[in-house]
Amino acid sequence: MNRLKKAWAVALAALIVCAGFTACSNGKAASGATSASTKTKAQDTLVFAAGAEPRGLDPALVDDGESTKVISNVYEGLLKYAKDSTDVEPCLAESWEISKDGLTYTFHLRKGVKFQDGTDFNAEAVKFNIDRQLSPNKTDDMPYADFVFGAVKSVEVVDANTVKVNMKTASTPFLKNLAMSLGAPMVSPTAAKKYNNNLNEHPVGTGPYTFVSWTKGQNVVMKRNDNYWGEKAKTKNVVLRFIADNSARVVALNNGEVDMIDGIDATVVSQIKSAGNKIYEAPGLNVNYMAYNTTKKPFDDPKIRKAVSQAVNVPELVASLYQGYSEPATSVLPTFMEGYDKNVKQVSYDAAASKAALAAAGVTKLHIITYSNPRPYNPINGQALAEAVQGYLTKVGVTATIDAYDWTTYKAKLKAGDYDVCFYGWTGDNGDPDNFMMLMSSDDPIMNVARYSNQEYKNLIAKGAVTPSGTERSKIYSQLETLAAQNAVWLPISHGKSLSAYRSNVKDFYFHMTGSVFFSGISKS
Amino acid sequence: MKQKKAVRPQTEPSAQAVALLEKPESQFKEMWDSLRENKAAVLGLIIIAFLALVALIGPFLMPFDPDQSNMSQSFRWPDGTHWFGTDQLGRDIFSRIISGARISLTVGLSAVAISLVVGVVLGSIAGYRGGKTDTVIMRVMDMMLAIPSILLAIAFMAALGKGIDKAVIAIGLVSIPEYARIVRGCILSVKENDYVQAARVIGNRNSRIIFKHILPNVMSSIVVRATLGISTAVLDTAALGFLGLGVQPPAAEWGDMLGRARGFIFTAPYTLIFPGVAITVTVLAFNLLGDGLRDALDPKSRKN
Repeated sequence: MNRLKKAWAVALAALIVCAGFTACSNGKAASGATSASTKTKAQDTLVFAAGAEPRGLDPALVDDGESTKVISNVYEGLLKYAKDSTDVEPCLAESWEISKDGLTYTFHLRKGVKFQDGTDFNAEAVKFNIDRQLSPNKTDDMPYADFVFGAVKSVEVVDANTVKVNMKTASTPFLKNLAMSLGAPMVSPTAAKKYNNNLNEHPVGTGPYTFVSWTKGQNVVMKRNDNYWGEKAKTKNVVLRFIADNSARVVALNNGEVDMIDGIDATVVSQIKSAGNKIYEAPGLNVNYMAYNTTKKPFDDPKIRKAVSQAVNVPELVASLYQGYSEPATSVLPTFMEGYDKNVKQVSYDAAASKAALAAAGVTKLHIITYSNPRPYNPINGQALAEAVQGYLTKVGVTATIDAYDWTTYKAKLKAGDYDVCFYGWTGDNGDPDNFMMLMSSDDPIMNVARYSNQEYKNLIAKGAVTPSGTERSKIYSQLETLAAQNAVWLPISHGKSLSAYRSNVKDFYFHMTGSVFFSGISKS
Repeated sequence: MKQKKAVRPQTEPSAQAVALLEKPESQFKEMWDSLRENKAAVLGLIIIAFLALVALIGPFLMPFDPDQSNMSQSFRWPDGTHWFGTDQLGRDIFSRIISGARISLTVGLSAVAISLVVGVVLGSIAGYRGGKTDTVIMRVMDMMLAIPSILLAIAFMAALGKGIDKAVIAIGLVSIPEYARIVRGCILSVKENDYVQAARVIGNRNSRIIFKHILPNVMSSIVVRATLGISTAVLDTAALGFLGLGVQPPAAEWGDMLGRARGFIFTAPYTLIFPGVAITVTVLAFNLLGDGLRDALDPKSRKN
C-alpha cells in the first residue's frame, strides 16, 4: 500500500516538473519572438497594434475586420474606395462600362501588373478569382462570396486585359462590392493552386506590401513590394502586432513600443493626447439604433412607437454618452453615403406629448433587451445606452426593465423575439445605401430586429437594388428613409466615429471609414 | 487560510463552556467589557451603526433621486450641488452611495442569515449524529468548498438571473459550508462533555440537546464567523455587481457602480473613488468588529 502511494507521488512529482518545464520553454519562445520583433523596429518600420489576430489572410475565406488590416495592404481589387467616401475609383481596373440593362459589366484592366510571386495579373486571373467564389467552386468557408458575387452569372475573358462579367440580375451595389477588402481582392492564381486554394497563411496579391511572416499570437510582418505598379510604399517594413487588452495597447503606444493603434474609445483619448500622441477620427460607416418589436402588442402600432421615441432626447443623449465621438443620427444612412437625405426628419423629442400619448394608450412598462459589450457603432456598451433610455422613459411614466446579455447570447435572444424594445446596430460592408436600408426588409430576425414587414418598403428596396446610381436611385432611398421614420420602426441614435491613435512622428496616418488601414502612404520621421 | 480560522475555535469552547456554565448571565457583559477596551473594534461598531442608520433613513438624506438619470448633467465633478459628482448618466453619486448602503447591508445580512441558519443546522446534525449522516453532509460541504466561492456565486447568479434577492441566495448558499464546518467541529468537541451526557440521560430530545445545551456554548465562534462573514458577503455582492451580475438597473449597488466607472478612471476618477471607499469602509468595519469579537471571546486573551 505504502509503496503504491510512493509510486503515485513520484509520478505526480514528475508530471508537475514536466509541466513546469513546458511552461518555462513556452515563456522563453515567447520572449524570444518579442525581442526579435523589437530588433527589426527602426526608422523604416511601422508598428501597428491591433486588438486581435486575423482569422486568415485569404480575402475569400475570412469575414473579420482584423484580417482586412493585412489583406488591404497585400492585395488589391478591381476597384477601390475614394479616400473620404465610399465612392469607387479605378484600381486594377482602369475603366469599366455597364450595359444599359445593367446585366453586363466590362472591365478594362491595368496593363503590366504582376502579382508578388511574379504571376501576371490579367483577365484570366480575374476570371479565376471570381469563378473561385461562384458555384460550383464556392465552398462553405467563403463567407462573403454570395454577398460580393451573388448576382454574377459568369465571367468571360475578352482579351488579355479585358474581362466581361455577366449578371443574373441587375445589381447596382456590385461596383461597390468590388472595392471591398473581403471577397473582392484579387489573389494570385498560381499561389492559390500551389497552396490548395487556401491563402490564409500564404497571401499573394498585387498590393504595395508583400507578406513576410505570421507568428501566431505575436505579429504579422510585411515588407515593401518593390515591383509595385503604382507609387511605392513610403516605409519599408510594417509589423502588425496583437495586443488584446485595450489599456495595454494604449500603454504600448504611449511608451513608444508601437506607432499606431486602433480599437480605442473616448475614455482613453485624453490619456493618449496628454502623452503627446494624436487621435485620428474616421467617420463611421455604421448606425447605432433602438428598434421596436413591431410584431408585439402594443408596439405593432406606429403611434405607440412614435410616442416612445418622442420620450428620448437623442442629441442630448449622444452628446453626453459619447462625448463628441459619435454623431447624432438624423437618418439611418451616415451623412457621407450615397442616398443620404438631410431633409429626412426622425421623430423629435417631445416629452410632454409622449407622456400624454403613452398615458392615453395605457403603456406603463416595457421590456428592453440589450448587449453588454462595446460595439463599433456603440463604443460605450449596450447596457449604458439602454439605461440612459430607461432614464428618459421614467420621466414619461414608463418603467423599463433591462436584460443585458453577452453578444452571442444576445443574438439568440433576438432570434427568440421576447422583447418590446432592443438595441442593435449595423456596420456597413460596401458603402451602398441598400446595405443599410435592406435591414428593415430582411426576413432574418437577426438582421431585421424590428421584425418589420411592409410590402411598400420591400418593393422600394427591390427597385433600389436595380436602379443605376444617380438622382433617381437616391430618391428611392429618401423615400425608404421617410417611410421608416414615419412608421417609427427604429429610433436611429448615432453614427459612431472610428477612433485610432498614432505617435506624433507618424505622418499621413489614415484609416478608411470601411475599417481598412492603408500603410503605403504612411511614413515615420 | 479559512481552514485555519475554522479549526482554531475547536479547542476553545470546552474550556469556555465550563466558564460560561458557572455564570451564564454575565456572558455578554463580560464580552462587552472586553470589546469596549478594543479601540479598533469600537470604531468598527461605530461605523456599522452609522451605516445602519444611513441605510434606514437613507431616503431622507438623498438630495436627488438615485435612480433618475439626467443626461444633461453627466460627469459633473464634485461640487456644492453634487457632493460626490455625477456618473455617466448624470445620476448623483452621493445619493447612489446612500442608496447602495441599503442594498449592501441588506444583502450582507440576509446572505449571512441564510448561510448561518442552514450551516448551523447542517453542521449540528452532522456533528451530533456522526456516522453516515456526518459523512454525507460533510462531503457535500467539502465539494462546495472545493470550488472557489465567488465562482460558485457567479454560477448560481447565471442560473438564477439578476436581482438583489437572487444575489442574497447565491452568496448565502456559497458560504454554508464554512458555518457547517465550524459548528460541526465545535459540537464534536462539546458533545462528549458530562452536561450533554446528563441531558441525554434525563431523556431530552436530540433537537433540544442541540439547540438548548450545545449551541449556546458554540455561539461565540459562530458570532465571530458571522460578523466576518458579513464583510465577505458585502465584498461578494460588490464582486457580483462589478461583473454585471448583481442588480437590475438602475438600482444603485456599489460594486456595480465601481464596475461601470472602471472605464473612466482617468477622466472621472470620482465615479470610481466614492463607491470604492464605501465598500472598503464597510468591509473594514465588519472586519474590525469581527476581530475584536474574536479577541473578546477568546478566554486565553481575556483579562481577569
